[in-house]
Amino acid sequence: MKYIHISIFSTLLLLLNFNLNAQEGVENKLNIIVIGAHPDDADNKFGGTAALFAEMGHRVKFVSVTNGDAGHQNMGGGHLAKIRRKEAQEAAKKLGIEEYTVLDNHDGELLPTLNVRHQLIRQIRDWDADVVLSPRPADYHPDHRYTGILVQDAAYLVIVPNVTPDTPPLEKNPVFLYLEDHFQKPYPFQPDITVDITNTYEKKIAGLDAHESQMYEWLPWTGGKLDEVPKNKEDRIKFLRQNWGGNITPEERQNLIKWYGEEHGENVKYAESFEVCEYGKQPSDEEIKQLFPMLDQK
Amino acid sequence: MKRLLLLFQIICWSILSVNGQNNNEEIRIIAIGAHPDDADIRFGGTAALFAEMGHKVKFLAITSGDAGHQNTGGGALARIRRNEANKAGEILGVEYEVLSNHDAELTPELHIRHDIIRKIREWEADIVVTHRPVDYHPDHRNTAILVQDAAYLVIVPNVVPDTPPLDTNPLFIYVEDHFQKPNPFKKDIAVIIDDVIEKKIDAMSAHNTQMFEWLPWTRGISLEEIPRDSQGKKKFLENELKRRFPEKKAFDEEGVQAIRKWYPSSSINRINHVEFFEICEYGRQPTDAEITKLFPMLKTKK
Repeated sequence: MKYIHISIFSTLLLLLNFNLNAQEGVENKLNIIVIGAHPDDADNKFGGTAALFAEMGHRVKFVSVTNGDAGHQNMGGGHLAKIRRKEAQEAAKKLGIEEYTVLDNHDGELLPTLNVRHQLIRQIRDWDADVVLSPRPADYHPDHRYTGILVQDAAYLVIVPNVTPDTPPLEKNPVFLYLEDHFQKPYPFQPDITVDITNTYEKKIAGLDAHESQMYEWLPWTGGKLDEVPKNKEDRIKFLRQNWGGNITPEERQNLIKWYGEEHGENVKYAESFEVCEYGKQPSDEEIKQLFPMLDQK
Repeated sequence: MKRLLLLFQIICWSILSVNGQNNNEEIRIIAIGAHPDDADIRFGGTAALFAEMGHKVKFLAITSGDAGHQNTGGGALARIRRNEANKAGEILGVEYEVLSNHDAELTPELHIRHDIIRKIREWEADIVVTHRPVDYHPDHRNTAILVQDAAYLVIVPNVVPDTPPLDTNPLFIYVEDHFQKPNPFKKDIAVIIDDVIEKKIDAMSAHNTQMFEWLPWTRGISLEEIPRDSQGKKKFLENELKRRFPEKKAFDEEGVQAIRKWYPSSSINRINHVEFFEICEYGRQPTDAEITKLFPMLKTKK
């Protein structure tokens, strides 16, 4: 009797689930994984796109390679890591993404060791990723640069069965993309894909707002702007909008026109851009449209 | 009595620190090379200029240089090179510290990164000078990576918490090299060192094991060809500098532009020795006005 109940219940759940998917109109769910160095890195470079994917019913996961246990002027260690893990979970809810995993490597001490490379290979395989995003190996923080190197080092090996044999390899290499930065050497970031995030920009800001210890304490402290941080919720959101938004370069504008058509492209207010990494699957424009279905809105 | 002493100490200390704050003209520079002599060859002239103007310069060699000789090595060589470094430091008017990591075995490990963070913080550096991560010697490349990795973290209190963080990020600059890949050295700053070229060559001469024994040996020059007298040795080094930095004789277009930018009223033909520097993207990003403040020997105004 009990079993019958359970099976009826799970059938209902399945139906409900199916129904939800049908509503979202997704036949083939895409699996996106974003690997940042710290809990909040994926959010500030990919938050808007993540929310778009999530709204369309696709599966997005953020991974932070370090636990962020050095990123504060007054707190630190395991205590800080616990706070930041909680903030990350809150941000995931705001963005509507499925998972936010914070690994336990120390902040400010990341090196491209085999151990961490294997952690990332497992993460990418377990998520059955179609698209993997990470920082470039050029960025101001050594943890960002080494995250870039670690993900690059995983890029081919995720399909090799003899590497990390405890976790089955992917059948095909995912597309690896870099998150945007402004560094010029050895060569500047090249925006290959630009996504209009105007509709999810507020969600992105809400996600950043969840990283309270970073957005309102640590980052302003490092910039000598702690006294400029507002106290009440509404002003804080405004403060975030001032710091995280709106600068679209001519190159990005061109890109938006390419992917969205002239009329739409000219009017985009907020965008996020990505560069195709040479070390994973090399997608055609057609494949990029399949992987970024929000682009195909001409 | 003890309390009185303590009070006295506190008063002295606070006067000193107030003086330190008032003396905001003083610029503090740390030049971090892989071996004892690297900073001298590529930054010696600029260092001497800073020192003559009353600023504080420190040279730091990350390795002891204990592999850099054909006939001697290990601790014995490290001792000789430490002595040579101290002599060179005296000539240039800079402090010279040599760490004890093995020469030719440097890798970008955390404990060395942490030592470098401590040294930059303890020196309260305004400017940090180092190699680019492209250069012929792996120790040079790894020194650059270690310093780059320190560049942001020197301001983070939770990193190396035994040493208080800097309040502001210093300017990080690279010394010149001729490597082209993945990108060539960029001549952002030019410092004319003709006024102190004697000092630079004297400081290089102090690294006797290197300038007149090891480096010629690696290039297949027999020791018989090396002059014995000090005049001849100087001439030899001057030629060495010209060989290493051929544009010293005829500056390339980028070099000329950099010299004109920072010394608009100088005439290029009369300039013989210049040290060029590139600004690293991983520290403070200065405006031209800030560069003029940090490098007071530049003569942008008539």
